[in-house]
Amino acid sequence: MLGSFAVLRKQSLLGDAISHAALPGIAIAFLITGAKDSNVLLLGALVSGLIGTFWIRGIISKTHLKSDTALGLILSLFFGFGMLLLTFIQKQPNANQAGLDKYLFGQAATLIESDVWMMAIVTGICLFVLLLFWKEFKILLFDADYTKTLGFNTKFIDILITTFIVLAIVLGLQTVGVVLMSAMLLAPAAAARQWTNSLSVMVFLAAIFGAFSGVFGTAISATQNNLSTGPVIVIVASVFVLFSFVFSPSRGLLFKQIRFIKNRRDLQLHKTLAFMYNIVESHENISHPHAIKILNNFQGYTKGTLQKLVSKNYVTLEGSMWSLTEEGFKTASNLYSQQNDNNE
Amino acid sequence: MSSAQIEIQLIASLVAIACAIPGTFLVLRKMAMISDAISHSILPGIVIGFFMTQDLNSPVLILLAALTGILTVVLVEYIQKTGLVKEDTAIGLVFPALFSIGVIMIAKNANDVHLDVDAVLLGELAFAPFDRLIISGVDIGPKSLWIIGSILVITVGLLFVFFKELKVSTFDAGLAASLGFSPAIIHYGLMTVSSVTTVGAFDAVGAILVVALMIAPAATAYLLTNELKRMLIYAICFGVFSAIAGYWVAHWLDASIAGSITTMLGFIFLIVYLFAPSRGIIAVLYREKQQRTEVSLLTFLLHLKNHTEERERHVNHLNEHINWQKVRSKTVLDLALKNNMIQLDKNIVSLTEKGDEFTSKAIDYIITNEDAQIEDMKDDFFLFRG
Repeated sequence: MLGSFAVLRKQSLLGDAISHAALPGIAIAFLITGAKDSNVLLLGALVSGLIGTFWIRGIISKTHLKSDTALGLILSLFFGFGMLLLTFIQKQPNANQAGLDKYLFGQAATLIESDVWMMAIVTGICLFVLLLFWKEFKILLFDADYTKTLGFNTKFIDILITTFIVLAIVLGLQTVGVVLMSAMLLAPAAAARQWTNSLSVMVFLAAIFGAFSGVFGTAISATQNNLSTGPVIVIVASVFVLFSFVFSPSRGLLFKQIRFIKNRRDLQLHKTLAFMYNIVESHENISHPHAIKILNNFQGYTKGTLQKLVSKNYVTLEGSMWSLTEEGFKTASNLYSQQNDNNE
Repeated sequence: MSSAQIEIQLIASLVAIACAIPGTFLVLRKMAMISDAISHSILPGIVIGFFMTQDLNSPVLILLAALTGILTVVLVEYIQKTGLVKEDTAIGLVFPALFSIGVIMIAKNANDVHLDVDAVLLGELAFAPFDRLIISGVDIGPKSLWIIGSILVITVGLLFVFFKELKVSTFDAGLAASLGFSPAIIHYGLMTVSSVTTVGAFDAVGAILVVALMIAPAATAYLLTNELKRMLIYAICFGVFSAIAGYWVAHWLDASIAGSITTMLGFIFLIVYLFAPSRGIIAVLYREKQQRTEVSLLTFLLHLKNHTEERERHVNHLNEHINWQKVRSKTVLDLALKNNMIQLDKNIVSLTEKGDEFTSKAIDYIITNEDAQIEDMKDDFFLFRG
């Protein structure tokens, strides 16, 4: 759901970076408390995710490094540091250390009831804040400068929205793990984007897509042995995206291709008609018959276009001769004047 | 230092060099995240290759993995070309999907073989010396040393042969195309080299470290220089230094070598990020502060120029009128005094001749916005430093 904002803000890969950056937070939280209390660990993840995010911001705004470099840099450095800490923890004499690496790949099956409640509560808060600041988020998303002139505290809104994205990611970590979290954030939103241009519909659709891929993914992974939940969910979400790419009515590839072909056909039809018109113009009688042969040299001409013209009543055929009808002549001359109009 | 230790450091350094070269170009071409995508999505290629050969070090495996890497790039570009989503979203969609396929393939089929996700992602440098390449009974060193060594030789060879082409196409794709180099070929060539390097290195150091070694040294070098050759050399030096230093940190902490090399890289980047002479945070903040003061000074002088009445030019009135805090207006006042721009007479401020001339020039520049005048102004502005 929050992914919609990430996608529209062109920060898609931020999710990936944050989920990696959360790792040292988990490790440090564990080192400090020495216990595997999931809430404390999540807090640590949240903090280090936020540090990562704002560092990325700092790099982009203060140096000439580009956003992709900053993302890749923070992602790999934080993750490497996290790994260092994890391996360091493994050497510590602490029985609790096992299972920390679950956060890497996530295990939806290991979730316990309290985790689920926690997630539900956080989701609820996210929803509430989203509704509360809906207008502000929306306006910041599409026209940041305008927002500033209106007197909103853009920095505050920005931080708020970033915090919630980080929060959502950190929560999701437990379920699908570090590597696949970015897909969970992106895929539903990217799929939803194909179906609508309206933000509210998009957020709603993204939530539905996300929920569906969660349910389906879990169901599929439950039917088979040895199939971890996270990857299956991601695959299902990817299928959703693919489906949306191909079949969405206004932006999808399929319909685009169909439109493209239709346009080309139309153009050919018009070209043939214009060519005929040119020939016919040189004669006084518009219905003067001409041989089909002379059309053969013309590029846009095919039997199909001729048939189409006949069926549209623009042309009549008599044996191997054709002639323009009254209607066809009119349309063709209009075609010309329209083109001239367009050119002017 | 035992021979195994030397070998580990040698491998790490070679990997660092091999990564730094394509990494520099990736950073300059704003495609750094592609390396992250490649390093994740080669997983299915590796898995398929492993099923075919049952050998983690066979060339087929590397070839297949490199192919998957290129497939990733092609897919990302295809999705991007449809115009449905932005490039970064395309990357974010492609690689988790491919990675998931890889993970599922491992989980379904390879549970009992020694190939698990952790090993692929994180690698283990410490075991690299134990996997030796033996040709006709003679032990000629660890396998990964040979693999990464040959990749490095190829990379360096390609770099020398195509240096000019790479340079031109990186900085001016249009010029490159008009000179007759195909940007597409260079692009895919670079991608192939990146994929092959990633694959060759992942076995030794893991996917994450590959990304870190590609991006971090190049980014650090980019903060220090603008020249391509120097940037390459800096990047290689940073890479090698953190590889060796990282090894000793890991040795001391008894932790993952890959992790500590990454941490060293991060540490170096942080230092450069803070203290780099002209691009570092401290330099940037200092410059911004200077510029703010200079802008204030300009505003102040303009105000003086516009008002001839004594009342408007009283020191206390200026504080209120331009709405600065006391300290701030004092700084600006001092600065102006020091540069002989103004003179104080019974708390009444007035412009000197020099200040007057300067202000007219500044107004001129603000109104006409001509570049020729900036150079002159810049010299003037540097006067105020210190």
